[in-house]
Amino acid sequence: MFHVAKATFIRNTRVMIRAYPWSFVIGHIFSGVYTVLFAFFAYHYVFAGQLDGNFVHLTGSSDYLSYAILGGAFYAFAVSTLMNVSRSLITELREGTLEAVLLTPSMRRGYFLGNVAQQLMRTLFEFSVIVLVGALFGLTLSHTNVWSAVLVWILSTGAFFCQALVLGSLMLYFRDTYITQNTLFAVMAFVSGVTFPIPYLPEWLQPLGLIMPLAPALDAFRQCVIQGAPLHAVLPQLFHMAALSLIYLVIGVWGIRRMEKRVMESIFG
Amino acid sequence: MKQLGSLLLAEIIKEHRHSFHSKMIYFSLLVWPVINFVTAYYSFAPFRMGADSPLARFISYEQLPLFLLTGYLGYIFYWCLVQSSWQMSFERQAGTMEMIFISPVNRLAFLYGRSLSSLIEGVWLFFCFVLLALFFVDGIQLSGWWAPPLAFLILLVSAIVWGGFLCVLFLFSRDSSFLYTVLDEPMLIFSGVRLPPMAFPVWAKVISFCFPLTYALQLIRALLMEGASLQTMLPSMGLLAAVLLVLVTATVVLLKLAEKHMKKTGNMVMY
Repeated sequence: MFHVAKATFIRNTRVMIRAYPWSFVIGHIFSGVYTVLFAFFAYHYVFAGQLDGNFVHLTGSSDYLSYAILGGAFYAFAVSTLMNVSRSLITELREGTLEAVLLTPSMRRGYFLGNVAQQLMRTLFEFSVIVLVGALFGLTLSHTNVWSAVLVWILSTGAFFCQALVLGSLMLYFRDTYITQNTLFAVMAFVSGVTFPIPYLPEWLQPLGLIMPLAPALDAFRQCVIQGAPLHAVLPQLFHMAALSLIYLVIGVWGIRRMEKRVMESIFG
Repeated sequence: MKQLGSLLLAEIIKEHRHSFHSKMIYFSLLVWPVINFVTAYYSFAPFRMGADSPLARFISYEQLPLFLLTGYLGYIFYWCLVQSSWQMSFERQAGTMEMIFISPVNRLAFLYGRSLSSLIEGVWLFFCFVLLALFFVDGIQLSGWWAPPLAFLILLVSAIVWGGFLCVLFLFSRDSSFLYTVLDEPMLIFSGVRLPPMAFPVWAKVISFCFPLTYALQLIRALLMEGASLQTMLPSMGLLAAVLLVLVTATVVLLKLAEKHMKKTGNMVMY
């Protein structure tokens, strides 16, 4: 399994360096930086630093810039992980290499592990750059509980990977990446508390955030960074994330297996 | 001329068939703008609102939904017409780029045909916008019966020119989709889609005036929110026309450079 993971990691890194050195890295970094800029402009220039009275009550802090910048950075990280893993099989299909991948006696787990490891390297770089830019625009990191934040970040990668398996099988089912992923990302940005606390949403919309791993992950990460919360203080969020990961993993593994069969029959005859 | 028209039509039909293979796309075209619009609306929730909010220096609180709705209409309209440009890399992946450039097809017809292929989406979006604005949003103040068709025309022409310009940038390399992020997403912040450009510091205002959408949105808001007369809008229209002319010239020059570059490297498919 690890041979396959290593081979996939090396191949993907080579493809990224040779064919798309700029697109993925620059693309996602810029998206995160724009969220930082939007928060900065809105807070300082449009609203002159005046917040709604409820905001402090809902978030436990009056640090809007840290709240919004971490939301933007974590959203970019989630999108990046979801995209890189879920698009792997359909990219093979588009580039004509899926048949070869499916014909080799390699373990699919190794293939996905390689993909995850490769994207982990990429997202770590992207996330660090966004946080660094955010620090220039008002993100406060002085209260951060570093180990808790790192652990939440790693656990979130696992949760997003499980969600990516479901997304990947949906992409193969619809033979589309564009609509499927963008619809999910638009809904995620809306209901997961990326730029505003979830309780601001109408009550009937709030449960939608509960099925997105981004919502508990972001909540836990913000608490660790903004308020310096220890790991045991964010245990409810971590359990929530673990439960969602398990559900997505079961559906995702079943979905990918089914879709592989379908693709083999419908495309390669 | 007739041949040019048929080439343009052929590219429009090809791209339309390529992108609109299922009815889901029309659904997503309605759903995405609505979700993006409400997300933008709720992004203001953490701030102090009301009549005495600092926001009132630029827009009245009551006009905020219409401000965002017009902003998103403009942005999504542009985005629809430019999405075909980043899909240029699919021509490379599928190996069809070489075939297009070997054929004696007019290159400009090919580029603008790609942009125009989203015309139906544009009409559909505009129709949805008018419905939403009529039923859910207050503060509409039309310049006249001609204001909505003129707003549509301004959006359409400027978006096609912007789309053609982006298309030509994507001819240079398979790895140019990051240009989409560099050139497309700043529009959301700097062009006044979500925030009024008047609030920005000078350096951000300079960036905002590089995007044709800034001028287009100014005109559309004047037409639909302020009821401005045609005469008062003439200077802004002239400015937009000048910016579009610069973009068309840049498109023609870059197109020649891109073809020369591809011929020199001998590689129209891989990188």
